[in-house]
Amino acid sequence: MASTTRQFRRRVADLQLGNYLPFYSRLSEEQRFAYKLLAPGLAMMCIIHFLPIIWGTLISFMGVDSTYARQWHNAPFVGLENYLYVLDPRTVIGGRFWFSIRQTVIFAVGSLVVTYVLGLTAALVLNQKFKGRFVARTLLLLPWVAPVVVTLLIWRMMFQQQSGIINNILLSIGIIDEPIYWLIGDNTIWTLVLTHSWTQFPLVMIMLYAGLQGIPQQLYEAASIDGASRWQKFRYVTFPQLKPVSAVVVLLVMLWTMINFTAPYVLLGAQPPRAGQVGILYIYEFAFSNFQFGRGAAMSVILFIIAMTMAMVYYKYLFDDDFTEDSQ
Amino acid sequence: MIPEELQLSSATKDRLFGLLVKGVLGTLLLYALFPIYWMVISSFRTRTEITAADPQLLPVELGQIPAIVQDPALLLEILHYENYITMWARFPVLDYFINSLIIATTTTVFALVVGCLGGYAFSKYRFPGKGGVGGALLGTQMIPGILILLPMYLLFIWIQDTIGFPMTNTYHGIIFVYTTFTVPVAIWMLRGFFDTIPDSVEEAARVDGCSRIQALVRIILPMAAPGIAATGMFVFLVAFNEVLFASILASGDVTPFAIGIQSFETQTTAYWGEMMAASTVATAPILLLFVLFQKPIVEGLTEGSVKQ
Repeated sequence: MASTTRQFRRRVADLQLGNYLPFYSRLSEEQRFAYKLLAPGLAMMCIIHFLPIIWGTLISFMGVDSTYARQWHNAPFVGLENYLYVLDPRTVIGGRFWFSIRQTVIFAVGSLVVTYVLGLTAALVLNQKFKGRFVARTLLLLPWVAPVVVTLLIWRMMFQQQSGIINNILLSIGIIDEPIYWLIGDNTIWTLVLTHSWTQFPLVMIMLYAGLQGIPQQLYEAASIDGASRWQKFRYVTFPQLKPVSAVVVLLVMLWTMINFTAPYVLLGAQPPRAGQVGILYIYEFAFSNFQFGRGAAMSVILFIIAMTMAMVYYKYLFDDDFTEDSQ
Repeated sequence: MIPEELQLSSATKDRLFGLLVKGVLGTLLLYALFPIYWMVISSFRTRTEITAADPQLLPVELGQIPAIVQDPALLLEILHYENYITMWARFPVLDYFINSLIIATTTTVFALVVGCLGGYAFSKYRFPGKGGVGGALLGTQMIPGILILLPMYLLFIWIQDTIGFPMTNTYHGIIFVYTTFTVPVAIWMLRGFFDTIPDSVEEAARVDGCSRIQALVRIILPMAAPGIAATGMFVFLVAFNEVLFASILASGDVTPFAIGIQSFETQTTAYWGEMMAASTVATAPILLLFVLFQKPIVEGLTEGSVKQ
């Protein structure tokens, strides 16, 4: 009975899928099972990731504003007008958009430098043998584990101009004579870099630490026999060996910082100063306070293209550099 | 050159290097932990103490310590625990917490179910298009959220207007968005954990008469439990911390903690004490869970980046 059912099922499967989906019928049973397992995940990704990207791009070519918010499909097709408008540095919007792109680059590169230096230092320290290094590793990971909204607000409190502890300490040590405005004016972007780096450096640390653990011990022994000093070992063994991991870290930190919304949104509060308006924050303010969805979408597409281009150029540079061969 | 007698012997060099390592470690620990310490301290202070021109670094004055040791009850007078009591009445903190728990927990459950299936398929089977799907999974992590938020907002409004099914400011709307957002990460992390389980386990289960899905549910999933827990914690944190979608799609009755906590700073006054008290309440369990389950979490995070 069971075998008849199975035969029947197979026949049905052959009939339907064999005729309509020749590709699917050629798959082994194992491969079909794999597709079935992946199907829910892929379906969800299509709905939330891929369709909205296509749709968002579509909107960027349409004049969707407050009039059309409830019936976007009736909005007129305007071609490249949105793009030309937001990219024109002579208009107010265009000028501010270009400025926000500049701030985004400062934010990404600045955060990358600070997190990488901090993360590498911490990873190297943890790689030394000392008592309690497991505890130290746990403690150093806490800034990254604590809810980032909370930690950003702590920094916001500490950066207050009048009562903040940071100005207070700097004043009492004598580094500054006047309280600094951290959260208003041109300093804001650096405040953002410092705070974001604090929340992200543990991730860089733990990735580089894992990379350090993977370096074969023989290389250090060989270097010792050649009489290499500590610095030389770092310069000629550790650093080159870390290159593949560093490459991944650099790419991830750059991209994730460029598209990070939480840090500027929470740290800078309800009225973000101009200098702290990185790309994504500016688009958000612009699109949702004026209901200019078409132009907002055009800016988002541009931001996406910039991030993707940077990632691809970097990726290409990596493979031209052949870092994989060096490390083997 | 440095004269012979002034050159450091290698033992001295080692000792100096050891000191340097300790110094750097101490500085890093101070840097990493001070803000967390400051949150806890500030949560026990009154508004006047917090906004004072010269804030005290320590919660108590050094001269008071002998008295406190003799009479611990004195601590309750010096530390102002009022923030922990007044915050519930002044702000709907409890609602924020409950909303966040509902949203983040449901998201975690859904993302883990979908992620386990996908991650397992990815780890154990070869199929056409595997590389492409893998690339797409990672690619989703590079998309600026705002590019998705704009059409999503229009879609939600359109569904509400045409079908009459509420989408904005509902639990199911935001949970749906978060689940899909975290599924790619969950698949990717879980794949790494399933990789560590030998293929022979599934084969043995199949020989014993399990179907493929039974083998997965009854044998493999229990074996991967630590990895699933780690992924779950990661997904929970992502959902708990999200503000971009929440600020537009989840206000009103479903406002989560991440958005609600910002309302402690109003146009005129900043209730830092209460804010830090609520923050401490939110942070403590998460830090505790991390300290307990950190091994699989840390492994899951580093897996993908180092293995390439």
